[in-house]
Amino acid sequence: MDRNEIENLIARVALRDRAAFEQLYDRVSAKLFGVCLRVLNKRAAAEDAMQDTFVKIWKNADRYNANGLSPMTWLITIARNTAIDRLRARKKGHQDIDTPGFELVAPGPNPEQAAVASSEALRLSGCLDTLEQDRGNAIRGAYLDGETYADLADRFGVPLNTMRTWLRRGLIALRECMSQ
Amino acid sequence: MTDQTEFPDNDDIHAAELVLGLASDDDRTAGRRRMATDPTFAAHVVFWQERLAAMADSIDPVAPPARLKQRMLAQVFPAKRVSILERVWLWQGISVAALLFAGYLGVQLLTINTQPNQQPAVLAAQLVSDTGPLQVLAVIEPVSHEIALRRIAGEARADRSLELWAILPGQAPISLGVLPDSETARILVPAALRSQAAQFTLAITDEPLGGSPTGGPTGDVLAAGPMTTL
Repeated sequence: MDRNEIENLIARVALRDRAAFEQLYDRVSAKLFGVCLRVLNKRAAAEDAMQDTFVKIWKNADRYNANGLSPMTWLITIARNTAIDRLRARKKGHQDIDTPGFELVAPGPNPEQAAVASSEALRLSGCLDTLEQDRGNAIRGAYLDGETYADLADRFGVPLNTMRTWLRRGLIALRECMSQ
Repeated sequence: MTDQTEFPDNDDIHAAELVLGLASDDDRTAGRRRMATDPTFAAHVVFWQERLAAMADSIDPVAPPARLKQRMLAQVFPAKRVSILERVWLWQGISVAALLFAGYLGVQLLTINTQPNQQPAVLAAQLVSDTGPLQVLAVIEPVSHEIALRRIAGEARADRSLELWAILPGQAPISLGVLPDSETARILVPAALRSQAAQFTLAITDEPLGGSPTGGPTGDVLAAGPMTTL
């Protein structure tokens, strides 16, 4: 996807440009719906998450510039977090759709971090593959399926603290691999 | 007790756990708050958000059903029953005039029970074009009978003027005057036309400097829009 195009659309959405908002929807909704479906696994729930996602995008577009993320990362993060909030709420039996669903970042001194190419996907998957298989899978499960430490400990049949230690070591190794 | 010295723990890991959604509810709340105030911690979070979002590359796009877009748009842009204040906000380009009038209208609404037909309507138009950049907002102030105009985008062509016209059904356009170069302008509605202002379509045409020499429009229509009740 063309980064500049998406960025321009978000900037216009921040100015309350409805046409730009609809264009942005047409451009990215399939990707974001894929993400919501992946996390929630149910079409009806994924549709609800999509609706919340775009309401958030509309309301928070003016904060996009401050957070230092690339535009697709920002959009995917909102969709994923909104879907995960719904997943957790489903488990807890209530819903809280008022939280922004994504982390608002203080304007920081690190613009270079936003300049990440899509080759990053290859690098990430390469780095995940260098981890011990279980750790890589645990990190994937947390990100893509919204699994918690408790879910993961269950799935891998290890005590919670062991899971936590494992995964944290995995994250340190991942950080090293990706920082190279 | 596990061996705590072996237990990896630092800001970078907390940031990664926050992004992955592994943090407990309390840690999550605290983490989000910290991000808003601590740029160094926020940088860790951005690092992980950006890197881990690459995992979404493996997810195939799935076209959502068409009704979802309609449903979402209906939520974001509630079409009917928009409050006066929200409408005034939408027209913030002319906010001072509109807000003043909202105050006036508030007074009128208080008396509405005794004088049900005395409530004046605020008329507004958004002048746009499918082909050109010119965009102008217009509001008719019912007390002063002035059209308050604000140019949002576009401008007169080089060495040409913009002229404003009122068009009534079945009639030739009536010139309301040449617009100044400034972004805002006020133009008095001629007394003879005031009672029909709600039927106006406003249009702006491209004319020779100083305005049309013929009394009728001679150039391209650069923007137009019908009056609506605000």
